[in-house]
Amino acid sequence: MKRIEVKLSLPVVAPLLDVIRESSGELELSLAAPLTISDLDADFHGAWVDELLTAQNDEVRTLLALFDGEFFSDGVIAIDEKNAEPIVRACAAVRLGLRARQLHSLKEETLESGDVALAKLAEPVRRAFLCYLFLATLQELIIQHLDASIIES
Amino acid sequence: MTSVQAKGHTAPAPISETELALQGGWRVVVLNDPVNLMSYVVMVFRKVFGYEEARARRLMLEVHEQGRSVVWSGLREKAEAYAFTLQQWHLTAILEPDEAH
Repeated sequence: MKRIEVKLSLPVVAPLLDVIRESSGELELSLAAPLTISDLDADFHGAWVDELLTAQNDEVRTLLALFDGEFFSDGVIAIDEKNAEPIVRACAAVRLGLRARQLHSLKEETLESGDVALAKLAEPVRRAFLCYLFLATLQELIIQHLDASIIES
Repeated sequence: MTSVQAKGHTAPAPISETELALQGGWRVVVLNDPVNLMSYVVMVFRKVFGYEEARARRLMLEVHEQGRSVVWSGLREKAEAYAFTLQQWHLTAILEPDEAH
């Protein structure tokens, strides 16, 4: 089984985890990407939302499990063919949640380019933006090393 | 093509032109968002539709540059299944009647 291990800087990443956990909690009852198909039967719509929310919460739990007690001892996270897909999806969900709640003051171009003067941001926005970048980096690593296993699974 | 895992949906048989004309065609349209990475969107298109890298990349660029892209068209049931799967990947998808049919 293909597996990557990433050594992270604990002093840098640990403070971001509270923001990720908070944003994850906000996603428990709402979809990161709201359902936009309007002409579905009401029962069918409800069933879709329930199923999407269940999957989203499972993915987010898998992401948070990366940062368990072992992470705090060695700073290493391990991603393999089994957890790569839920983690890459959870990263997308949490990034969408961060954008909707903590980063709504930033322009779309800023979010797309990632080009921002961090020192000029208020502290909560700065931490949320660092989380946003950190999760993107995690996604890029997974896509770079494990995309074939995700696509073929 | 990879499987589509929407609740209550099963992969339909291949569509004939006659069947499509009788039932009406639908388009699955993906809308742009400023959050999801280009590489992520390309991977999702490859995973969900089984597209080759070049086609997936072309569709992703269309979403990015024009704000939307028709990523698939066909029968309503399967279009719904694809839209559901794209939502599972946190992409925003809508369905539109395909006026070509």
